[in-house]
Amino acid sequence: MAPLYALGCEGSANKLGIGVVSHDPATNKTRILSNVRHTFNSPPGTGFLPKDTAAHHRAHFVSVAREALKTAGLTSPKDLSCICYTRGPGMGAPLTSTAIGARTLALLWGLDMVGVNHCVGHIEMGRVITGADNPVVLYVSGGNTQVIAYAEQRYRIFGETLDIAVGNCIDRFARTLNIPNDPFPGYNVEQLAKKAFFEEDGVTKREPVLLDLPYAVKGMDCSFSGILGAADLLAAQMRKQDALLASGGTLKEGEERITPQDLCFTLQETVYAMLVEITERAMAHVGSKQVLVVGGVGCNERLQAMMGLMARDRGGSVYATDERFCIDNGIMIGLAGLLAWETGFRTPFEDSTCTQRFRTDDVHISWRSD
Amino acid sequence: MAAAMETEQFPCVLTIQVPFPTARLASVALQSLQVDKELSPLVRRIFTITPSGSDAGAGANATPDQHKTLQVEYRATTNRMLRVAVNSFMESLNLVIEVMEHLDADVLAAEAHSS
Repeated sequence: MAPLYALGCEGSANKLGIGVVSHDPATNKTRILSNVRHTFNSPPGTGFLPKDTAAHHRAHFVSVAREALKTAGLTSPKDLSCICYTRGPGMGAPLTSTAIGARTLALLWGLDMVGVNHCVGHIEMGRVITGADNPVVLYVSGGNTQVIAYAEQRYRIFGETLDIAVGNCIDRFARTLNIPNDPFPGYNVEQLAKKAFFEEDGVTKREPVLLDLPYAVKGMDCSFSGILGAADLLAAQMRKQDALLASGGTLKEGEERITPQDLCFTLQETVYAMLVEITERAMAHVGSKQVLVVGGVGCNERLQAMMGLMARDRGGSVYATDERFCIDNGIMIGLAGLLAWETGFRTPFEDSTCTQRFRTDDVHISWRSD
Repeated sequence: MAAAMETEQFPCVLTIQVPFPTARLASVALQSLQVDKELSPLVRRIFTITPSGSDAGAGANATPDQHKTLQVEYRATTNRMLRVAVNSFMESLNLVIEVMEHLDADVLAAEAHSS
């Protein structure tokens, strides 16, 4: 049997991603033929709003889709088995804009539609790229924070954020510091955090200062909004110090001079420690030695390193991907959709809507039998 | 009676007619656009496909091939709601037409052939 092909369209947040993926049901081999992405970046100090993001996706849908087809080198769209699109979770308007484009393609080319859960897309992509067959999954992005393990054809949520996502916490703190959103805020926070280590000729001249932030793990769950609030207060204190020093004043005795570098370092160390803790507990429960990190925050090297230390202590290892697959993309939607399509799953055309809330454990994982 | 209530509660009306080159494309546009429900309870809309231009006179006798015009009737409680709904429809319609223009199978085939 020849490999099957699918086109995946992702637009649940500020990235529009379209790609072509193939999967061979006989050999279980997956191949990526194209992975095109266009990101909407708002100016420093601002976030992306649904209306502007939806307009971005509409404006770039045709060019991104054409490039994805061209790069894939498919002779005809009829070679595809299905059009996969992100059904949710995500922002309503950007999801809907992308779905309208996907629907039109499916009708024009006479293909089936497959609505995909965004989180399941991340997990399946991560499993294929890293080869981790049955890991505990930490799914961390700007909109989601979940610790997940597979059991009996569902990806079960062991723990999750009680308020905002970890990526949202970091993105919004980047806004507080007016850090650019390009290529993405978390990357720029990570680079700034690295500068908290002052090095000259390989010798550390200054250790970074770990400032005081709350640590909010509650059982298997986490909370990030209070941490963001506390970090914002520290940033305000830093600005007061800036103003005081600029006007010739001096700090009170014993008062620590706060820097943006130390703030970024502190925020990363605190929230990643929380994530490592709940992931470790899930691994202990499940008895798994593999941990797979997916989602946009998953390409943070500091998080990968901390997770690696923990996994090594448990005699296991961490599986992570780079930004091509970690950050939202079309192929992860194409892959998860194609796996479902192979088991007979179709999204009837009149049901090919989107939903902002769509939990990971709502999806029947019919393609896994372990 | 029901129709009278409708006119009373949703007095602001706009009917948009979008002619397409073929019945197939008109049907694709209708199917793509009518799936997503209107978000506001203050707006109602009805999608139909009608015979277009010179074929319009054929009325009920028009052949399926002559049904090339997408007609959308919007009704809203206020002009503001009507404007918001119609603007959003136009944005979506624009995307659908753009996809048809650049990604339909015959367009891609013609490009592949000429390159």
